[in-house]
Amino acid sequence: MPIEINKLSYSYKKGTPFEKQVLKDISLFIRDGEFVGIIGPTQAGKTTLAQHFNALLIPGKGSVVVNAMNTADKKADLVKLRHNVGYVFQNPDYQLFAPTVGEDIAFGPRNQNLPTEEIEDRVAEAMDQVGLDYDTFYKRDIFALSGGQKRRAAIAGVLACKPQIMILDDVTAGLDPGGREEIIKVIQKLHTEKEITTIYISNSMDEVAMLADRIIVLDQGQVLFDDQTRDVFLHARKLIEIGLELPEVMSITTRLAEAGFDLPGAVLSIEEAVDAIAANLQQGQVKD
Amino acid sequence: MELTKNITLGVYLPGETYIHNLDPRTKIIAAAILITLLLFIKSYLAYAIFLFLIIAILVIATIPPGYAFSGLKPMLPILVLMWLFQLFLYSTPDAEVIVSWWIFSATDAGLHMGNLISMRVLFLFTVTTILTLTTSIVSLTDGLESLLNPLKKIGLPSQELVMTMIIALRFVLILAEELDKIIKAQMARGVAFDRGNFIQKTKSLFPVFLPLFINAFKRAEELIVAMEARSYTGGKGRTKMKTLHMGRVDLFAGLFILLFSALIIYVILIVPPVI
Amino acid sequence: MNPLIEVVDLSYSYRAGSGNEVAALKKVNMKVFEGEILAITGRNGSGKSTLARHFNCLLTPVSGSVDIDGLSVSDKTNVASIRRQVGMVFQNPDNQLVSSIVEEDIAFGPENLGLPAEEIRERVNWTLKTLNLKNLQYESLNQLSEGQKQLVAIAGVLAMKPRCIVLDEPTAHLDPRSRREVISNALKLNRDEGITIVLLTHFMEEVTRCDRMLVMDMGEIKMEGTPKEVFDDEEKILSLGLDFPVSAKLADGLRKKGISIPRKTIHAEELITSLCQLK
Repeated sequence: MPIEINKLSYSYKKGTPFEKQVLKDISLFIRDGEFVGIIGPTQAGKTTLAQHFNALLIPGKGSVVVNAMNTADKKADLVKLRHNVGYVFQNPDYQLFAPTVGEDIAFGPRNQNLPTEEIEDRVAEAMDQVGLDYDTFYKRDIFALSGGQKRRAAIAGVLACKPQIMILDDVTAGLDPGGREEIIKVIQKLHTEKEITTIYISNSMDEVAMLADRIIVLDQGQVLFDDQTRDVFLHARKLIEIGLELPEVMSITTRLAEAGFDLPGAVLSIEEAVDAIAANLQQGQVKD
Repeated sequence: MELTKNITLGVYLPGETYIHNLDPRTKIIAAAILITLLLFIKSYLAYAIFLFLIIAILVIATIPPGYAFSGLKPMLPILVLMWLFQLFLYSTPDAEVIVSWWIFSATDAGLHMGNLISMRVLFLFTVTTILTLTTSIVSLTDGLESLLNPLKKIGLPSQELVMTMIIALRFVLILAEELDKIIKAQMARGVAFDRGNFIQKTKSLFPVFLPLFINAFKRAEELIVAMEARSYTGGKGRTKMKTLHMGRVDLFAGLFILLFSALIIYVILIVPPVI
Repeated sequence: MNPLIEVVDLSYSYRAGSGNEVAALKKVNMKVFEGEILAITGRNGSGKSTLARHFNCLLTPVSGSVDIDGLSVSDKTNVASIRRQVGMVFQNPDNQLVSSIVEEDIAFGPENLGLPAEEIRERVNWTLKTLNLKNLQYESLNQLSEGQKQLVAIAGVLAMKPRCIVLDEPTAHLDPRSRREVISNALKLNRDEGITIVLLTHFMEEVTRCDRMLVMDMGEIKMEGTPKEVFDDEEKILSLGLDFPVSAKLADGLRKKGISIPRKTIHAEELITSLCQLK
């Protein structure tokens, strides 16, 4: 279920004095099974772009074609499309509304008018996938959940629709380190085991560097870079210039490189950094 | 899907025009006078004159008329419904039937009544929209507070009332944005707001309004705590950074509104009401 | 140093006395010293916010005591005076900004103090200058980014000229750049104006920039000390659901490879200096 975007432009509040162009002439292609990170400074248009992927927004100009279906097509079955392309919002409170976790997760499949047993199966499966124990949480009050549990319930609510593509819009914001880690594990597992195409919008460079195979960098509504993760972070200076930060590890390795260490231009994890730095020092010792 | 696009009430459109720069009290009083006049208007001629004034104000304030009226869009169904109600249910003994269908019949009296009431609502809305489009919330409330001040003596908590209003207006926009996100979050799970029969449509509102209300309450609670932390304890003992003062433009605007009112009253008196 | 805030045996429960009460704080003892930067961390629901809300009388102890410069928060007559001394900034700027124009929102606090108009004006100008917000003075708050809004929220508290500012996860929803800006500004207020800062946060990189830190869990203080001391207890940090600053993780990894990085390395600068010396 590939996504193909061709010369997409979009303006908010079109026709009002507050009109503002958010996306300009964006073209890109997302293949099945990819893990794509979308990054960019605030108001670069990340969310606006992602909301085109499941027809929450319809292009002003240009086209968005998901699985050979043009979202602007009047006859397109958008409800079905949205089941195939799940979207998890940053704030789970926008989504959760049913009294219990189980009922809330069942909401999506219920909208598909599936038979009751199938709905229950899906709920159980989704809860299992996000690590919410069925017996403990099925009847749990939504408002008695912790921040991290709420996010997982929200993800389960989307998973229960059995999407082939999942868009995660800054889903770790505001969580404590433990909660963050739990969510990331869930996302990684879904991608590797279920082969769900994952589109990950985030402000955290560390997370994107760790998770994504490919990164799309947006700046002022345009695609600045669209490349393999490692290659994108090679443009460190440009990224900083547009208001982004480097992953924490890289902000240290870059400074070490300036101090004369021989390190690769992009270092994406602690392990990589440790190896590269150690290699430098051990080399030095041999010379002595 | 953009909800906030069509909300014009409570939005401030910054500008440096004569209208924008009027003392808020002038604008509030003027709006109050215009609204009062509207309640008495019962002829098409008076409405025509009124429309002329509205357009003049929009032009002076450089508000695109299309935008000013776009706020009406969400109200349209209610307006139409109201018009239909009057059309079919209102009648006078000497009214002539113009259409009849099944058990319903519409009279010319009903038609006029429907027209008048719809126009009244339209104009009321437009006058208030113009007021908020050209006056920032803060100066609006400063103005209101200053006007309500004399009533403090009889025990009216004017400052608190005004503070409530500021916050309500500030939240309208935030909540509208939030509503937009909630609707999208539920659409993403397959709610089709535009499908199904009336009951299904009504049912699809729950997943939207429940989170909205819960979030609104949460926000309100947080705001109250934050205000308290900033030493807010109600109007008592509070001072203001900015003080209001009226200028020559205000005098001129005041005179103009008086003249206009005289004209409208004259029209009301001489032109027989259509109903 | 003398304590500005002194907490003795503080316990607090939500819905106290209702039968299904939830104990949020259990016999907490701690101090905040005048002029320091104190970080309070711990997982969600560990009691950080509940503790901090006692500092400016938003909550009052169920048992135990909280004194601000000798004034008890339990005594209602102290409330006004304590709120002048201890200001508070919350997580979501949209829920704490009252007005719709930057300068008018900053004036809100001083207005509540009943100051004369000229002094309010003066304070607003001073605040705008101190936090470099002059260019946003007349902006509508709706037009600002989340980071800018949070700076305005800090400005609103600063204009009340408090001795202490408590920041309750002020950067939780910000992008990394704005996060750094907000924290740098808070630290600047400590350095230049001598304002005591209490920072509640989940970001370990922010914690390392503070003088001292507390780790809370289940309503109790589990660790206390300088960041160097606290992050040295690896097992305990992990058991409390926290993480390490990246520099500490790197240092640890390098040590395991036999490279002699001193223990208690938590800052990027330290790590870089040690590595450069080794090369």
